[in-house]
Amino acid sequence: MDNLEDLKIVAEQWSKQGLEFVQKIPPPQLYTAIGVLLLATIWLLSIRLFRRTKSNTVLLSGLSGSGKTVLFYQLRDGSSHQGAVTSMEPNEGTFVLHNENNTKKGKVKPVHLIDVPGHSRLISKLEEYLPRAAAVVFVVDALEFLPNIRAASEYLYDILTNASVIKNKTPVLLCCNKTDKVTAHTKEFIRKQMEKEIDKLRVSRSAISTADIANDFTLGIEGEVFSFSHCHNKVTVAEASGLTGETDQVQEFIREHVKP
Amino acid sequence: MLEQLLIFTRGGLILWTCKEIGNALKGSPIDTLIRSCLLEERSGAVSFNYDAPGAAYTLKWTFHNDLGLVFVAVYQRILHLLYVDDLLSMVKQSFSEIYDPKRMSYDDFDETFRQLRIEAEARAEELRKTKQVGKPVSSVKKQGQVSKAGLEGGNKRVSEGGSKKDDGDGNKAKVSTLTNGHSNGNHQMEDDSQETDLANGKENTSCNVAVDLSKLQKLRSKGVRGRGGVRKTDSIGNKSSKVAAAEPAKKATKKNRVWDDAAPKQSKLDFTDSVDDNGNNDHVDIVAADQGESMMDKEEVFSSDSESEDDDEPGSDEKPAEAKKKGWFSSVFQSITGKANLEKTDLGPALKALKERLMTKNVAEEIAEKLCESVEASLEGKKLSSFTRISSTVQAAMEDALVRILTPRRSIDILRDVHAAKEQRKPYVVVFVGVNGVGKSTNLAKVAYWLQQHKVSVMMAACDTFRSGAVEQLRTHARRLQIPIFEKGYEKDPAVVAKEAIQEATRNGSDVVLVDTAGRMQDNEPLMRALSKLINLNQPDLVLFVGEALVGNDAVDQLSKFNQKLSDLSTSGNPRLIDGILLTKFDTIDDKVGAALSMVYISGSPVMFVGCGQSYTDLKKLNVKAIVKTLLK
Repeated sequence: MDNLEDLKIVAEQWSKQGLEFVQKIPPPQLYTAIGVLLLATIWLLSIRLFRRTKSNTVLLSGLSGSGKTVLFYQLRDGSSHQGAVTSMEPNEGTFVLHNENNTKKGKVKPVHLIDVPGHSRLISKLEEYLPRAAAVVFVVDALEFLPNIRAASEYLYDILTNASVIKNKTPVLLCCNKTDKVTAHTKEFIRKQMEKEIDKLRVSRSAISTADIANDFTLGIEGEVFSFSHCHNKVTVAEASGLTGETDQVQEFIREHVKP
Repeated sequence: MLEQLLIFTRGGLILWTCKEIGNALKGSPIDTLIRSCLLEERSGAVSFNYDAPGAAYTLKWTFHNDLGLVFVAVYQRILHLLYVDDLLSMVKQSFSEIYDPKRMSYDDFDETFRQLRIEAEARAEELRKTKQVGKPVSSVKKQGQVSKAGLEGGNKRVSEGGSKKDDGDGNKAKVSTLTNGHSNGNHQMEDDSQETDLANGKENTSCNVAVDLSKLQKLRSKGVRGRGGVRKTDSIGNKSSKVAAAEPAKKATKKNRVWDDAAPKQSKLDFTDSVDDNGNNDHVDIVAADQGESMMDKEEVFSSDSESEDDDEPGSDEKPAEAKKKGWFSSVFQSITGKANLEKTDLGPALKALKERLMTKNVAEEIAEKLCESVEASLEGKKLSSFTRISSTVQAAMEDALVRILTPRRSIDILRDVHAAKEQRKPYVVVFVGVNGVGKSTNLAKVAYWLQQHKVSVMMAACDTFRSGAVEQLRTHARRLQIPIFEKGYEKDPAVVAKEAIQEATRNGSDVVLVDTAGRMQDNEPLMRALSKLINLNQPDLVLFVGEALVGNDAVDQLSKFNQKLSDLSTSGNPRLIDGILLTKFDTIDDKVGAALSMVYISGSPVMFVGCGQSYTDLKKLNVKAIVKTLLK
């Protein structure tokens, strides 16, 4: 209790001293000081408001095991180091893409890349990051595509019907990973299959449309078979290979949407 | 010998693997560990068992929560290595000294690791030697001693049942080492003096159990789920003894008990209306398809965040008042500056309070305990950020963990599954199982109503042929909802009735078949066998366990025993377990929603529906955020 009392007394003394000091200052100086402070805060706020035009965040999402973490490290360091296991937390980094480090001259805007874990228990993390994303890269395992097609299409459907994605018309890149393997599917095949699955999803999900307030948007055009060209935001397809470092198409996409 | 030791970040990048031991691991034990243990909030367990075709590993792990690193050691299950825990903590210490977030490769750590390993092995040897001196053992090889000490050290399996199961597992481990050609001594943990006698006893039992072990190997090789596999080993042993006992019992048929001298009533009380008097049923009100929207399709409105902030205040006022004055001052000071590292002792009281709170919300005691251990494991050693109290950090971590558990692991879009089955021209079969009186028949009708509202054609199958009035009850529901019902009256074999119902559904083109079964206690062996037969014969698409929200600690027992019995008594290599949970009587509990958590944690299957009333529209989806908020209020 002594400590408290002492503290109180000391605090009172300090506050008295502070007030005396303030009262000693002549009024004009006081007013100018306050004015400067106000101006400074207003200026900073306005800068923040105006700077919110373009964010530089790119999300790497996809099912667990599709190769996002490897791709993340490829883009960052140019090598996938010793491999990766199932991520439990997102990997974030703001950096200049590895290839551009060497080639581009002049000021290149760093990209804020976030690799969100694909495990279904951690799906809430994706919802956190989607509003801030300037672009989304949806990574699909081109090797084990057909066994996982249902889960992959549901995930992609959730992204495409997310409220922030629709509002911001966030562009999505469907990246087919692991194309270095011989038995990997082509991007055309993957695109067609995903379109078919999402078409089926549209039918069953629209039945529960009133339940999910976030996803009350029906994709595509009613009555026609779904195609990615029907989406309001741009959806493109590309190929990549995380292990061997062939990430040119992904990098082009990122560059396109994060203007230097 | 260690198979592998890995160091990786929580984000998934592997930082270092031991290059000396070049063995490639069979299967993917690390990924399975992460998916089924660490992400399932079971990180408080001691070890994890992984079975792959051709290998049986045990994994042990430790976290460095401050740096966000995970250290995992993998070794063969038959070797009970003592020094793994020791080695892991030493590796953790030395690696955290050289860790740098910018660095990606740590080749220099190889040398350090080699030394650490030699040190740890040497220490283990010493321990072994001192134990060896203490006990006189005749002709026991060194391997035997390692296993013995290892068992005493307690390689606790991830067990969901009582201690009996643990002993059973322990026995199995011992016996399996026997069959693997190590001539170990007997490993009775109780009595050392009877060693030689027990040695003989063990040899004998090993012969008896040898047959079951080969079955065990076969089952293991089919890639049974880790938990299921462990339970299987236990019950295989039990089954062999039980089968022997059941044989003679089958011969004697049961007779009705006669209590007094009067002759027993011979006539059976069977009031089933004959199926073919449909004319009488006009007076039954036919429910118009519009009793309103089923609550499944309505969105949930739950309270805003302001409530939780108010609750923080009274909670925070209590804590300082309880602690000593000095303690309060230091905790305030520390909360401003940020304490160095969280220790177990700091987390202890906060976790205890949290566990009490969970238990007052009707979470089973065992589950609350395991959850707290898991949260402790994930917070230990973490740096407390400034301006936060320990209790709020613990609360945030627990909230995270709860959301993770309650979020379904796979999609629970039943309509999608129904459509998929429709394309294959097969009916989608759902079987409702559960103990007595939880509300299977009522909720079956609610699900039928909901499906009907979404233009799915439903058929009911009355496979509860035991309880009086069950068939009539379903018939009334079917009449009100205007859906076909398949029934065969009472005293028929439910499995056969179900089979015929599915055939009928395929014939008349119904999309979904809802199968009602009789309620049964999880300990009732013959009834569980009958249920298992029904499921094996018909291979339903969804096995829905119906559990009431009023259940307390029994939820753990019910679900684990149901799953165990279904996996044991299954004839095929891939046992069908419980796929989903239907939580009933949710409107009767105000905020004691813990049963949902217990059930989801123990079975790993998601809650697909929640029954919140007694009329057709009272069926809704589980709102994870609302439940977590209620649990932590």
